[in-house]
Order: sequence, then C-alpha cells, then structure tokens
Amino acid sequence: MDDVLLSVSDFVALTNQTLEYAYPTVQVEGEVAEFRVSQGKWVSFKLKDDGAVVNCFTALSQMRIPLEDGMRVVVVAAPRLNVKGYFNLNIRAVKPVGEGSIKKGFDLLKAKLEKEGLFALERKRSLPRVPKRVAVITSTESAAYADFVKIINERWGGLDVEVAHTQVQGVPAPDQIIRAIRYFNSLEVLPEVLVIIRGGGSAEDLSTFNDEPLVRAIAESRIPTLVGVGHEVDHTLADIISDVRAATPTNAAQILVPDRQEIIRGARAQASSVGYLLTQAIDSYSRQTKENLNAAFSRIQEKLDGTFEQLGVLRVAVAQLNPDNVLRRGYALLRGEQTIGATLEIETATNIITTEVQDVRSK
Amino acid sequence: MSEANKTEDKKSVQEKLTDLSELVGWFQGASFKLETALDKFKEAEALAEEIEKDLTKLKNDIKIVKKRFDSEA
Repeated sequence: MDDVLLSVSDFVALTNQTLEYAYPTVQVEGEVAEFRVSQGKWVSFKLKDDGAVVNCFTALSQMRIPLEDGMRVVVVAAPRLNVKGYFNLNIRAVKPVGEGSIKKGFDLLKAKLEKEGLFALERKRSLPRVPKRVAVITSTESAAYADFVKIINERWGGLDVEVAHTQVQGVPAPDQIIRAIRYFNSLEVLPEVLVIIRGGGSAEDLSTFNDEPLVRAIAESRIPTLVGVGHEVDHTLADIISDVRAATPTNAAQILVPDRQEIIRGARAQASSVGYLLTQAIDSYSRQTKENLNAAFSRIQEKLDGTFEQLGVLRVAVAQLNPDNVLRRGYALLRGEQTIGATLEIETATNIITTEVQDVRSK
Repeated sequence: MSEANKTEDKKSVQEKLTDLSELVGWFQGASFKLETALDKFKEAEALAEEIEKDLTKLKNDIKIVKKRFDSEA
C-alpha cells in the first residue's frame, strides 16, 4: 500500500472495509461514561477501563435497557471510523454485566415502565379457569419445558398446546421471543393464554427477560400472558408486567390448568352434596307432613273434646228433665179427667195407684 | 346411543362441570320440587361419573410450531 495514494474518503472507506473483514463484530466490556442522548434519537457514550477509552454510538431505538454512567456493560459492536475521523464502536447490542449493573439497569427500566403505568393492577387480565388453546414460548430443549409438560399432562387433558421454540438466554433471545409473541398474536384464532417460561439461571442469563422491547411486547400482547421465569426468588420485568406471574415454570403449569384429581374430588363432592340435599329435603318434607298430620289430629281432637263437653252438658240437662227423676224427688204423675166420679191413675216413683175423683176445687 | 347421550358426549368437561353446579344450585334454589329431585340427583351422579371418566381419559395435544424465530421472515 506504500505506493497507493488514497483520498481521505477512500482511506476511511478502506479502513472500514478492513475493519469489517477483520472484526465484523467485537464484544467489549467496560464502564459507561458520559452517557448522552441527542435529539431524542441518538445515543453516545464512552466505554472505558483503567487504561483506555473508546467512543460508542447507536440509535436510541437499538437500546434494550436504560444505561447510566458507571454501569458495567458488554457491547456487541462493529468498529468504524466515521467520516469526521472519529473512531466509534457502532453498537448492535449492549447488556449490563455484574450484579450491580444488572440491578441498576433493572431498576432504571422498572422505574420508566412504572411511570408509564404498565405495571398497574387494572391492566392485568385474568386467565380462563380451564383454557382450551394455549401458546407456549420457551426453549423446548430445557428442563423447565420438560417439567412444564409433565405437570400439565398430570394435571389436565384436552388442551391444544402450540409451542414456539426460542432461545431463552443470550443476545438473540429477546428478539426471538418477541417474534414468537407477535406470531401467536397474529393468528386468526388467538390462543386463550400465552405462556412464557424459562428455568433458573444466573442474573445475566435471566437478563433476557429484562429487555425493554421484550417487556413491552408482553405488555402489548392481545393474548393474556402467564410468565414463569427462574426460581421463586427471581424477579424479572417480564414476569412483573405479565398478566399473571408464576414463581417458576412448574408453578406456571399449576396456574394454567386445574388439577384433574381435585376436579374429580370436587365433582364427587358436589354429587354427594346433592344426595345430602335430597335426603335433607325428604326429611324436611316428612317432618312437615308429620307436623301437618299432628296439627290436623290435634284440631280434630279439640273439636271432639268440645263436642263431648257439649254433649255432657246436654246429657245433664236431659237427665234433669227425665220424669223418673222428678218422681224420685217425691212428685207424682196424674193421668185421667179431673171431674167428679172419673177414675185417675197416679204414678209415683215406686207405685201406680188408681183412684176415683170425689171433689174438684179451683185453686 | 340415544340423542340425549350423544349431546352429553359432545359437551366439554367445563360444560359438564357447569351443569353439575347448576344442579346443585337447583337443589338449593326456589325451583326445587321433591317430585323431580330424585331424577335430578341421578343426573348429578351420572354427570360426576362422566366428568371423572372424561378427565381420566383426556390427553393434551402438544405441537411444536414449525416456524423458526431466529430471524425476521
């Protein structure tokens, strides 16, 4: 190249060509400094370590997680010399590394999304109690997926499950999951639930689920979402923003479908309760019938008692009117004409006397 | 198989569970009549049995989507 005379533009182009050939992409780890967003579109910052510093440049839309000075990150970038003579790393992806930076990125994005109201409880949709069509996004090679399938098969049957296989960690993972979310949301007949699962891993592995476009895609899903990522103690923005959070993939399966044994027990209990209700109703009816009969019997008894009492009174009255009783009290019954010479019959309590009338006087 | 049984068989487990709950509701509600209660009880028992049978034999149909998600296309 010693004898080749290049224009500045040619030199820049040749340098970029060489860089592209030698280093199509590089991964560089360093600390963010002088982070800046210009015109609401462009992001620039310096990536530094103890010995050197390099300029980084990208479009704001390329940023998957908010950055702040002092955060430790790995950038996946293409080294370029720009026409103004500045050497840049044109960033394709950036991810925080180390517990502190991951936590910082998480907190920054969480605060941003929270401000937009994306975590509001009123946004949460409930899942159908027993879904028929279910979409699942996960790595089908993972143990988490195997557990999930085992549990849903144990617990329930009759589901139509469509599974989208994607990476669940690493730089390509968020975009793959986003594509799978869009795929299911574009189906003519939407699944009733969209499940996203991933087993446990390091904070860095799980950081896929703190990716801003992915978290937004979950929030925008027309299908209610159920997200179970990591272990119980792990919290990602994907599961916080989902309609229903599962603590683990196994828990997602438990939330998704009821336990058939429980349902069978419940159905049996319901049938038994119907039997109990029937017995109770029969008891209640027979008790009521018995009570009605008793009431009727008491009423008849009352009537009879009243009538007998009345009869008793009448019998006394009739007895008092009996002529024998009058005769027994010393009176006598006289039969015949009360004229002189007529024959009279006199009846006492014990005798009947025949006599002749000798005298008749007015009283 | 009678027409009624055919219709029953077409019902999903969820529908059968709803029917069973409605039967329990009938026993607790104002429309309860002792004259029809025994038939309803038998219906509830049969439903519970069917639900158990259905749930035991049902299998899930799990399919992996053929589409690849590793690139836009």
